[in-house]
Amino acid sequence: MSTKPDDNLNLTAGILAVVFPGAGHLYLRQTRRAVLAAVGVLGLFFSGMFVGGIDVIDRKEDKWWFLAQAMVGPLAFGVDAYHQHALKAYPLDPNIIAAGEMQAADLERLTPRALYPGETRKTIDLRLNTPAGQMERTIAYIAPAGPGQGPPSTKSIGMMNELGMLSAAIAGMLNFIIVLDAFFPGPSSASREPR
Amino acid sequence: MSLLLLAYRPFLDPIPLDRHWYLLLIPMSFFLAVGYKSVRTVDMRKFWPQVFLFTAQLIIGLFGLGIGFYILVRVLLPALAPAPL
Repeated sequence: MSTKPDDNLNLTAGILAVVFPGAGHLYLRQTRRAVLAAVGVLGLFFSGMFVGGIDVIDRKEDKWWFLAQAMVGPLAFGVDAYHQHALKAYPLDPNIIAAGEMQAADLERLTPRALYPGETRKTIDLRLNTPAGQMERTIAYIAPAGPGQGPPSTKSIGMMNELGMLSAAIAGMLNFIIVLDAFFPGPSSASREPR
Repeated sequence: MSLLLLAYRPFLDPIPLDRHWYLLLIPMSFFLAVGYKSVRTVDMRKFWPQVFLFTAQLIIGLFGLGIGFYILVRVLLPALAPAPL
């Protein structure tokens, strides 16, 4: 029996566990543990989204929470990317929308945000003035919602937002424990796995 | 069923359960217990009993913390530093 921790290191299992919850234990042929670990982590992550909406996964507006949520793995980054690019929009001035052009530097200063009830997401082809000349870019902007319209997702606030973010953050921290267990599959973790 | 709940789109909108938020601690505690015990249980035959025990411990612990903070905020702090009239 060795006492050096490096002897127990399983790099492949650890990396697989980082890529997807439970994949490390699947590699270690601990199928039951793998499935249960995935159920625990993904259950927490998706129940957080179920409670607070996709707005609880937000790398830009809730970056400290996202630090914990990111430990779920690429899935958290994928959900965040979808949230940032497909659901948020720029709060553009109506005069800019009417003119159809603006300074590129002014656009860089704006931050896309989640939408509230009564708002909807529209797109416009804006001419952006840069020092090098003009360029055209399709921009999603926030507009007042008309009849039958609404936001693609709703800004989450209050207790539902807190619970949703907390649940997804706990999912990340739980996955951190599971990743460590996959990196260092010691005798205490899985020695009695039923075959 | 309220109109808010009818308009709810799962995973896109926050669920309108603000008045019963504490019920949501039960699935959160359960999933946490399943994930944690999946790597911490040595004998997997005892997995589900350990999950339910840990879930109950979490819920009772959170409930106890709630009572403790309620007493601190509503009873002890007003007794130590009464609000000026």
